[in-house]
Amino acid sequence: MKNILIYLRLGLRNLLLYPMRTGLTVIGLGIGIAALTFLSAMNDGWLQNMKLNFVLTQMGHVQIHAQGFEQSRRISDYMGDTTLVDEALQSMQSMQGGIQAWSHRIRVSGLASAAGANASVLVSGIEPEREKDVSRLHTFMQQGTWLQPGDKRGVVLGDVLADRLSVGLGDKVVLMAASPDGDIASEVFRVRGLIHSGVMDVDNLLALIPLKMAQHWLHLGAGVTDVVIRTNSFAVVDSVVSNLQQRLSGKPLEILRWQEIDPMAEQWTMFAEIYTWVVLLVVIIVVLAEVLNTMLMSMHDRVREFGLMAALGTTQQQLFAMVVYETLVLVFIGGILGFLLGGAVSLYYGEYGLDLSQYATAFSFMYMSSVVYPELTFNGCARILVAAMLGAVLAGLYPAWKASRLNPAQAMREI
Amino acid sequence: MSDHVLLEAGGLCKYYHSGGSDVAALDQVDFQLEKGAFTVLSGRSGSGKTTLLNMVGLLDTPDMGSLHIAGENVLALSLSERANFRLQRIGFVFQAYNLIRVLSARENIAYVLQLRGMKKTERLAIADHWLFEVGLDGLGNRRPDQLSGGQQQRVAVARALASKPALVLADEPTANLDSVHGESLMSLMRDLNDRCGMTFLIASHDPVAMAAAQQCVYMQDGRIVSVATP
Ligand SMILES: Nc1ncnc2c1ncn2[C@@H]1O[C@H](COP(=O)(O)OP(=O)(O)OP(=O)(O)O)[C@@H](O)[C@H]1O
Ligand SMILES: [Mg+2]
Repeated sequence: MKNILIYLRLGLRNLLLYPMRTGLTVIGLGIGIAALTFLSAMNDGWLQNMKLNFVLTQMGHVQIHAQGFEQSRRISDYMGDTTLVDEALQSMQSMQGGIQAWSHRIRVSGLASAAGANASVLVSGIEPEREKDVSRLHTFMQQGTWLQPGDKRGVVLGDVLADRLSVGLGDKVVLMAASPDGDIASEVFRVRGLIHSGVMDVDNLLALIPLKMAQHWLHLGAGVTDVVIRTNSFAVVDSVVSNLQQRLSGKPLEILRWQEIDPMAEQWTMFAEIYTWVVLLVVIIVVLAEVLNTMLMSMHDRVREFGLMAALGTTQQQLFAMVVYETLVLVFIGGILGFLLGGAVSLYYGEYGLDLSQYATAFSFMYMSSVVYPELTFNGCARILVAAMLGAVLAGLYPAWKASRLNPAQAMREI
Repeated sequence: MSDHVLLEAGGLCKYYHSGGSDVAALDQVDFQLEKGAFTVLSGRSGSGKTTLLNMVGLLDTPDMGSLHIAGENVLALSLSERANFRLQRIGFVFQAYNLIRVLSARENIAYVLQLRGMKKTERLAIADHWLFEVGLDGLGNRRPDQLSGGQQQRVAVARALASKPALVLADEPTANLDSVHGESLMSLMRDLNDRCGMTFLIASHDPVAMAAAQQCVYMQDGRIVSVATP
């Protein structure tokens, strides 16, 4: 459009002609967009935080199992020998291939009993020292101590589980589970520590024992069910997985990304996506509601002026464009204000965190921390800006159409 | 149509429906305007002066009749062609609210030139020249609300003339002015008509305007009832 600058300038000046009306609209828009920017940053921060909690609580970024274990969850689908896997990981780690740490585990569901009380448990045989580099489990110690090397019969329990069994530090717990050959094996352990993570699966179910003890108890030899890998970041997960697939191709193994390990992860992504669309929709609605009214009011005051401009030879398209530009300018200014405001709040809480501990229990099963750190992303802001501009165009269309349709003779008679 | 005729209207009719009855704002108007004319259209309020100017200025379409301007059948033009015809050929001075509020006096004068695609320095130079012509030298940067009614009216005249249109239409240009300013505005237009040969059609029932006219056309109830040449 040739005359874009004239009409941008006219639009801007017309907005400045009514500083009060324009100011109120801009402030309304600014507050709306600020709130939505903040909500979007909260969502991103939450998601990031949930992903990290999910992965670092115990899942790891990548897991390697014997083929079929993810499906069956049967201990008989175990890996008898991890030498090849360990070698591959070792060489990738030494080549800066994105591997931060890895450790071995045996996972089996079973039953715990103590002094007459029973509870189902998820027994997890871990390497106490290597585990510290992979997951945060050791940081959740609430009472007692982490598993010590050489302490064969130590067990660390989730605090809710311990409660159910009415056991405390030093008490005996009998764990029962089926070995790969189908025998039910039971063994006595002593409670060394209690953990509280805020994640139900951990606190209600987990019984951590030394890997060596689990292998011996369940007759697995050197076998494990999981190799749990922590990568340097989420960004390298895909390349790590494809690298591993290459190195271990042809072996009866499954290599899973964190998203594939728990269906919940997929649900979050979907939830986050829906949430994003809802936020964008609300942005459009806020802009529409704020701007349509203002523009219609402003059109009403300027009918005669539109008539005049049309009479002088301004074309319908030019009048149409002028009104649309005016709404764009209005929304752009409001949007900038909103981004500054919402961005400042997001950055502040991104630094200091937003404490939601009052609601934490309700959310804990979703791996949410009680303190959220909003994350302001370029993409998040760009999406909102695009939605706001779309709303502006939509809000401008009707008044613009009205303005361009005016019969100049009629318009100039209006008082 | 002979060479010296700028505008020729035949059998123009325009009806308005108001309050259940039809008003013939224009009733079979035949009308000619010669090149270089300085014609005043007068008649009582409601006689159809503004309606006729609107038809002639392509701001509205008649319900019946024919209209040729500069040899062109303007009723056959599309909406955007009409806009362009107005832009290129016609200058307007309206009774009131002539100016775009957010533009300064010189920007208002330059607006039409800008629509025509003239470069900024050129059009502002022309605007300044016409500000001088209408006696508003030095007031070019004022917005309309910083000018008196008479000054605004003169800016409108300057705008109508700056684009050197074939036809200038003015609707009650003196209605908001006292007689001193009214007279000076009329003599200004008359002077420009003499010097530049532009054709003027002015609707007015102001005696001051009629006194300046080369030709007076009287309207009554949507008809032309007499034409006088003083
Ligand atoms: N848009 C309209 N709707 C209804 N009636 C109209 C409209 N425009 C004009 N009229 C009627 O047409 C007739 C002619 O009006 P017009 O404005 O042309 O008169 P005029 O001679 O310019 O009057 P004035 O000297 O008061 O300006 C009047 O009766 C008027 O009420
Ligand atoms: Mg009139």
